Parts: sequence; structure tokens; C-alpha cells
Amino acid sequence: MRTPYERPVIQKLHSGLMNKFASSPNFARKVRDTIDAIPIAELVERFGSPLFVFSEATLRRRFREVRDAFTTRYPNVVFGWSYKTNYLAAICAICHQEGALAEVVSEMEYDMARRLGVPGSNIIYNGPHKSLASLERAVLEGAQIHVDHLDEISDLEALAVKLGREIRVGLRLNLDTGIQPQWSRFGLNLDTGQAFDVAKRIHREKKLIINGLHCHIGTYIMKPDAYGVAVEKLVKLGYKLRDELGYDIEYLDLGGGFPSTSRLKSSYLPAEMALEPIDVYAEKISEALFNTLRPGDFPRLILESGRAIVDEAGYLIATISATKRLPDGRRAYVMDAGINLLYTTAWYKFTIEIEKEVRGINEPTVLYGPLCMNIDVVDEGVLLPPLARGTRLILSPVGAYSVTQWMQFIEYRPAVVLIDENKGVEVIREAEDISDIQRRERLPTRLKLNY
Amino acid sequence: MIQVSWESWQERMRSYGDAILCSYSEVFFLRGRNFGAMVMAITFLNPNAAIAGLVAVIAAYVFARFIAIDRGFLASGFYTYNALLVGLAIGYLFKVTLLTLLFVMAAGILAFVATLTLHSLFTIYLKLPVFGVPFTLVTWTTYLAAARFPNLYVSALYNRPHSGLETYLPLEISGFLKSMGTILFLPDVLPGLLFTLVLAVSSRILLFLSIIGYYAGTAFVALLAGSFDVAFRDVSHFNFILIAMALGGVFLVPSRWSYAVALLGVLVSAIVLEAFKVFWSGFGVSGFVLPLNTPTYILTTLLFLYVLGSTGFPRMARFIRETPEETLDYYLSDVRRYRGTAVALTLPFSGRWVVWQGCDARWTHQGALRHAYDFVIRGPDGLTFSGEGRVVTDYHAYNKPVLSPARGRVLKVEKGIPDNPIGQVETVHRWGNVIIMQDVWGSYICLAHFAQGSIRVAEGDWVECGTLLGRCGNSGYSPQPHLHIQVQISDRVGAATLPFGFVSYLSGGKYRANEPVVEGEEVEPCFPDKEQEAMVTFLLDDCHQYEVFRGMRRVGELTFVVRCAPDGSTYLDSGRGKLYVGTQQGTFYVYSLVGDDPYLRALFMALPRLPLSARDGLRWSDHLPIGILFSGMIKDFLLLVASVVPNIADIRVDLRRIGRREISGVVSYPLLRFQRSVSVELEEGLGFKTIRVDDLALRRVSGSVRGKDFGAHLGGPGSEGMS
Repeated sequence: MRTPYERPVIQKLHSGLMNKFASSPNFARKVRDTIDAIPIAELVERFGSPLFVFSEATLRRRFREVRDAFTTRYPNVVFGWSYKTNYLAAICAICHQEGALAEVVSEMEYDMARRLGVPGSNIIYNGPHKSLASLERAVLEGAQIHVDHLDEISDLEALAVKLGREIRVGLRLNLDTGIQPQWSRFGLNLDTGQAFDVAKRIHREKKLIINGLHCHIGTYIMKPDAYGVAVEKLVKLGYKLRDELGYDIEYLDLGGGFPSTSRLKSSYLPAEMALEPIDVYAEKISEALFNTLRPGDFPRLILESGRAIVDEAGYLIATISATKRLPDGRRAYVMDAGINLLYTTAWYKFTIEIEKEVRGINEPTVLYGPLCMNIDVVDEGVLLPPLARGTRLILSPVGAYSVTQWMQFIEYRPAVVLIDENKGVEVIREAEDISDIQRRERLPTRLKLNY
Repeated sequence: MIQVSWESWQERMRSYGDAILCSYSEVFFLRGRNFGAMVMAITFLNPNAAIAGLVAVIAAYVFARFIAIDRGFLASGFYTYNALLVGLAIGYLFKVTLLTLLFVMAAGILAFVATLTLHSLFTIYLKLPVFGVPFTLVTWTTYLAAARFPNLYVSALYNRPHSGLETYLPLEISGFLKSMGTILFLPDVLPGLLFTLVLAVSSRILLFLSIIGYYAGTAFVALLAGSFDVAFRDVSHFNFILIAMALGGVFLVPSRWSYAVALLGVLVSAIVLEAFKVFWSGFGVSGFVLPLNTPTYILTTLLFLYVLGSTGFPRMARFIRETPEETLDYYLSDVRRYRGTAVALTLPFSGRWVVWQGCDARWTHQGALRHAYDFVIRGPDGLTFSGEGRVVTDYHAYNKPVLSPARGRVLKVEKGIPDNPIGQVETVHRWGNVIIMQDVWGSYICLAHFAQGSIRVAEGDWVECGTLLGRCGNSGYSPQPHLHIQVQISDRVGAATLPFGFVSYLSGGKYRANEPVVEGEEVEPCFPDKEQEAMVTFLLDDCHQYEVFRGMRRVGELTFVVRCAPDGSTYLDSGRGKLYVGTQQGTFYVYSLVGDDPYLRALFMALPRLPLSARDGLRWSDHLPIGILFSGMIKDFLLLVASVVPNIADIRVDLRRIGRREISGVVSYPLLRFQRSVSVELEEGLGFKTIRVDDLALRRVSGSVRGKDFGAHLGGPGSEGMS
């Protein structure tokens, strides 16, 4: 039998790379030939490359895992789907089918939720910037508004006068839970007493009714205890509002920030080892609620988990369009997808899998994207065997934030497909073409070129 | 001020009049002033008897008010119709003079006090309605006494008026009509015919029963005695009519069974009737002195009711409504609406759990311990554990919070027993770590197999529904971590169990308010949400106003005031109807509609129940009485048929929650291809903002919450002018 051709590899010699699991870094590699039993090759053939692929089965499974972690520990839990994490209509629809409310942070996201048919009363309207028009619409449609600052309170009070009715609002709070950096730019500060002062001010005006408290202590929070602290402080403030001002707090919204299995660049260990499972977060929150709530009082617990639910359901298939050897000897590949599609690559390290088994020894490799910009680096040092041009790599998890933060810079954005639970594949966002980019542009007649 | 008191005087007189008229309808087991007025008018075919009856009932009523008995208590006529019958019985015998009227008055009061006294005795010791017993006793008493009052006889005997119509009718028909008239001491064809018409108008079921009762009983007597001719001439056969109506349509829910019981009652009573006649003839009193025979129907009916009631016959009418049709209508819808158990708890956990072992099961829930449930948590793969399942921590249920299923007090706690390794069980402390508590209704609840050291309540602690009691474990006779719950007869560990169920939970994607739970079923408790609870917590005296539109056209308005009934239940009073509503263990219900208000009917139709959970997309079903959708001939016909074929009376409502404040759904009655789309929008805060049934829309007029009575406390009559 003929031995197949292998590309030559230059390997720097050094010793001591053995790890305690005795696997050799020279040959360890990750291969993924299918997503949900659909071959990678088939997906690319049908829908092109690069290609975002979402697994409905994984999304629903994750949603239910996260949901059950909390619902088995506290009897009045509601999830709010964090639109900013992924506002593809199909993804939002799946989350709403699973019972989530819509958590929006801008007028655009509000419009998206309404366009999907989400009733106003199922929308939580967050965010530091809410236009007057959108506030009025949200009030009329019964959305739950979380006020971020005093100016917004003035806006809402003016609206209450205009509409001749009281408006129910939640207060967005920031507080010290031991997490650094403390997100102090959003909402009213709890620890300094600012939040309570504002509540007194609202109480004096009698135009708004405070019926909920909301905080969001950060993102990718790795310390479950912080949530326990947040619960204790919110519940305490809630009872103070009830006892002193007569506001019955109907819900506590703890926001999100639960980590996914994507790996921070600064993390030495893989996410599964560095992080506590979601159950531990749920346990801390439930324990804190049961310890602090008064007997028989079960306010709604709202969670706005985004990343923890959708991240693992998303994959990006990219194709190597060129191979290079850098001056320092490292191998490099240019792919058809880079930071334009993976904005989060700046701080996360993705799992990189090859579509098929490839022979050869691993060597440190740099993965570049297609942009003519120096920062367009997907991975600066992944161990990969020598790969031929045209080989497809699968990057994951990329379900969170990628398709909302992707940018349109010199490249068209690719198609997004969804593999449903019966292994059918559907396009949920078509690949862009020139018309998408130029539809809004207007070329003055005098600038028409006469070629 | 004067105008106000004139109005209240008028209102008072109307309520007196109503109470007196209702006494007349009670004789035919009917309710309401209209039928009463008709019956009263007919009694005037014999003015003597009619006046005596009226005087007796007025005397009883005035006496009752004189000793300060509440008007509401008397309004149904239930406590005064015996006086009416006594008056009629005396008037039947003696002509009206000043003297007889005085006698009647005294007898009426006697009848009333006898009624109240016997009512207490009967309801407490026999659990039976007092029925016509006071009438019988008092009439006998007065007849006996009359023998010693010769002045009554001097001018008072008279010839009773007679229509003479019976010569034109065959004996089979005139016999029935005369018996019918005899019920109110008018043994004649014309009043009998008129009473029959009243029955025909008010209740077809009663009419049907009166006919089959009369003819069955008369035929039985005729066969035994050997003469149909004599049997049809015997007006004391009115007893058969009353027995058939009482058993077949009033105290039992009209059905094939009740009709059978009615017929059997009639046959039995024939024996009693003839025995009474023989008894009285021994005293030289003719069997035709009517009141002497009435014990027949009273005795027979009470005997049957006592036996059926004490042996738990399932089709006893627990709520007797205005007509047998109404009783049947609510019975049939209630059977479908409230399928659960009387003792019902909140599920003692949070999230989705599966019934691992139900009641009367194959493993341990048998015999005296058969009423119990075991719960576990299943993963997406259907298994109760992840990983290999070799240690307790692999199990989904392990260490999950166990919540109090009710409000109550913790009586016993055991918490030091270790959790078994998987596959081993403890046989000494079979219950493992256990809590026994007693809820506010008195039920003893036992929860078992807690994790070692996890119980965080102590004996004597008061707990609310949902309080964290401890963590699910694997202690005691437990092969895998699970939660056991039962309701039992005492606070002893391992005591015999009692039937119970669960309220407010999700199963198969639908909300169940209180329904039986079966093995393998996945259930998840729905805790009531504060905002939802607040939206249906109606405040007394609040006034809600609606404008009613059909399409774009305004067709009317609805104003209802929230009121409290003497029994503590809440109703929405529109003047034309009373809609009884209430919240029970996490569900808001519309219970029933009394009176007829098309707009309250629309509300009943659109929202017969509302789960008070905030969960989005919640779906649930309910059933409606036929009278909420149909009226007149269609309703009457459907209910008459439904008394024999109950399955035809199933009107379904399927509802679903859209967002936090909208409910939409369909009312369907496939038999008549009837379908209505309904929707309700809840008001932010309290009440209903819009109620829709097809193109009929009720829209809340804003700013109409506080009723005028609310301000009246402060401003008096002056505030009326302001509103």
C-alpha cells in the first residue's frame, strides 16, 4: 500500500511537553465531520462558506438545562431572552417557544420583539438609551420598563401626566457584589443609598409605581457567590421599599452574566474545568432567596441568561483559502472568516475542529481572517497538523454575540442555517449580496458615472 | 334625605313582597317571585283558602321580622312556606271571618316557630331538609284543636267553589289535574290545569316527573285495589306527584337514576298512603280530609333521602338551584370543572418532577398506605440520574428543595438518618428523615426521605405554603433519591392515609387547577404570581363600568358592584344578575351566575377560570353550564335530554394566556356546531379591561373603580349629587 503524501513540518525540538494525561500534543487533534449528523461537506456545498450553523436541538436542550436548574430550586422563575446576545428571528422564536420573555435594550430590539409578535407585556425594556417615542410605545403596550437614570424617570413622569395614568416601572440598580470591575455605569447605585433616594423621589411625585428591581452584575461571572450577594441586597431593598414607601415588589430581575463554555483567552484551564456548572449558580441564588424572603412571599425571579443558553448552539464553518509560512517559522492560514464575523475573538479562544482526520504532526499555527487589517487574527497559536488549502475548520462556540456584533467591512456576511430537531436544514438568514449593502444608498444624478 | 328613606321603604316593601311570593313557589320546589305570583293568583280560585294562606304567611313573616330575623334569611321563602300551607289548610276547611283569620294568624306563627325548631333538629341530627314536616304537624294540631273551638264552626263552614270542568274531560286526565290542584288545597280541574301550566313554563323536568309519578302511582294502586275508576278519583294521589318531583328532580340531580328512584319512591309511598287512610278511618276521620295524608309524601321522601344521603349516593344535589334544570346544568358542568379532591395541596417542590409511584401502586403504596405519591426528577434522556447513577449526587432529585405543600404547623421532625448508598434501603426507619405537619384545614401531611441534616424547620414552626422545609434525599426505605408525600389520619409516623390531590400545576403543557395525578405524569407547580393575584382581588363596593359594543356600535352598558354574600362568597352584582367569583388555591374562578344578565354571561363565557401564575403561553380548559350559552327552548330541551344523556351537555372552553395580561380562546359546543372566540384583557392593577365574545365587546370605562357607597361614607347624601 502506498503511504499518502504528507506535507513536511518543521518542528522545534524541545523536551518536557508531556502532560500528566500522557497524550502527545503532537498528534492530539479535534475532528468534527458533522453537526447534528449533517456532514460539514454537505452544509458547505449547499450553503457556501463561511457559514454559521445553529443547532436547534442544542439550543433547546441548553435552554431547558438552564431553566430546570433554576425552576427546580425556586417556584416562580421566568426567563427573559437577551436579544442582544442573538436576535436572529428564528433563535428568538425558539426561546419564546420555550417560554422566555423578550429582554430588549434598545428601540431597535423593541421593534424586533414586536415584529415577532411578542405581546408588549412580555417585553422587558432595559438599556441606558431609550427614546421618548419608544418609551411611550412601551408604556402603551404594557412593557415592563427598567429605568436606568433620573432623566429617564423625568421622561416617564412627563409621560404619566400626558397619558393620565400611573406607570409601573422597575429600577435598574448597580451594586457591589465583590465582582471586579463593578458595572457602575448602569442604573442607580444601591450601596450609596442613591436608589432609595430616587425611590423616595418617585414616591413623592406619585406618577410612577415601582414594582420590580433589576441588576446585572456583569458578564461571564465566574463567582457564583456574587449572585447570592446580589439577591440579598435586592431583597433587602425590596422590603425597605415595601415597608417605608408601600411599593410591592413583584419581581427581582437578576439579569444574566452566567458563563458559557467558551474559554476566556486569559484562562489556563478549559471552561468545563475552570467554571462551576449552572446548577451551582442556581443553588446560590435559590439559597439566598429562601434565606432572605419573608414567609409566603415568592416574587417572580427573572433571569436574562443569553450566553449560557445560545453560545454552544452556534458553529462557524470557515475554509482555508491560503497557507503561509511566517518569517518566524510559524505556519499561518488565511481563512474566509475572521474578526468581521467573530468580534468576540478579541477575548475568547474558540474550539477549532477540523472537518476530517488529517495525518501529520501538530505545529503551532496562526489563523488569520480575510480582512486587510493587522488585528484580524482568529487564533495566534493553535496546534494544528499541516492542512491543505480548502480544508474546512469548525469554530465553536459562537452562538452568543457573533451574529449581533458581526460587522460589514469589505466582505459580505454569510448565510446562517438552522438544523432542526428532525435533521432538516433551513436558511434563517440569507447570505448578503451587493443589494443589501447598497439598498439604502442614494447616488446623486450628477455623480452618475458615464462608463 | 326624605327621598332616600322613601326609596329604602319601597325597597323594603318589595323585599317583603318577594319573600312572601317565594313561599308560594317553594311549594312546587321552584324559586323566584314570578312563579310565586302565578301560584298565588291561582289560589284565589278559592278566595277563602287563598286569603287564609296569605294571612298565615304574612303573619309568619311579620313575626319573623318582629323578632329581628334578617330579611336575607327569609327571602327564599324556605322558612315561611309551611305557614302558607297551614293557612291554606285552615282556609280550606273554614270560611274567612275575623275569628278564623285570628286563628289562621296564630297557626301561621306556630308553623313558623315549628319550622325553625325542626329545621335545627333535622339538619343537625338527620342531615335532612325540614321539608313539609312542620306543616303536617301544625295542621294536625290545628285540626285537633279546632274540635274544641265550636265558634269556628258556627258561621265558618262553606261550600268550596267548583269549576265543573271535569265533566268535559276523561277521568284519566281530570284525575291528574285534580290531584295537581290538591297540592294547594284546590281539588279541582281548573286550578290543577293552571298549576300544570305553571310547571310547564318553569320546569319541563318537574312537569315530566309529576306526570310519570302520578300515573305510575295511580296505576299501582289501581292494580292492587282492582279499580282504575276509584284510583283516578282519589285526589290524595297528589302525594305521588310531590314524591316524584322531590326525589326525581329536586333533591337528586335529574338523571336516569333519579327518575328510577322517583318511580320506586312512588310505588313505596302507595303502601304508606293506604296505611294512613286505614289509620285515620280507625278514628272515624275520612281519608278525604286532605292534610291528613300529606305525611305520605313527606315520610317517603325523607326516608329515601336519609338512606341515599347517609350511604353516599353520588347524585344527590348538593346545591339546589332555582329549577331542576339549573341544578342539573351546574351539576353537569361542575362535575367536569372540579374533578379534583377536597383535600388538595400545592406540589411540595419546584420545577418538573415525575410521579414515580402513585396511589394504589405496585410497590409500597398499598392497603392503608395507598393514598401517597412518590416524586423523582427525570433528565432529558428519561433517566433519573446523570453519569453512572452509582452515587446519590448523580440523581437529579437529590438535594433539590422540598417546599411546604400548605400553610400550617410542623408537628414532628426526624432529621438524623443517613442517606442510603444507591441500591440499599433502610428497613428500621422506613420513612427516613420525615416531617409531619398539620395544615390550616386540619389535614396531617407527611413528607419523607429528606437528605440527612437538610431539614431546616423545627417542631412547632409555622410554615407558609412554599416555605423551604429541607432537601430531597435518600434516607429510609428509598432505593433512589425521591420525595414521598401523603395525607394521613393522625400525626403518627406511618399512619393510615387519606385521599388527596394537588392544585395549580402544569401537566402535558396544560394548567390543571385540581385534577387527579397519575403515575408517570410529569408535573410542575405553578405558584401564584403577585401581579396576577392583585388583578382579580376585587374590593367590596368597588364599581366597575363597561360600555358594550357590538362591532363598532354601542349597544349598552354594564355596571357591576362587588358584593359579599352572607356565606362570605364574593359576587359581582349588576342588578340583573349576580356572578359569583372567587380565588381558590392559585386559581380565580367564576362559579355561577344567578339571574340573567347577558353581559355577565359574556364574562363567564370568556373567563370561567384564570390561573394566577405569570407563566407565558399557559393553556387551560374549562367547561360551562348550558344556560350560559343558550336560553329559552333550546336550553330547556337540551337539559331535558341531558338528564338522560348527560354527555350531550359538554360545553368546552379552551383558553391560553398571551403575555401577562391577555387571555384568548374558544368556546365550543360541537353538538350544535357552536363556536365563539373569546378574549379578555386584564387591567394593569385590577379588573378586566376588555371582554370579548365574537363581535360583542365590553370595554371598561376608565376611572370607575370606587363605587358611590365609598364616597357616601364620607360625604353623605351630598356626594350623590357630585357623582
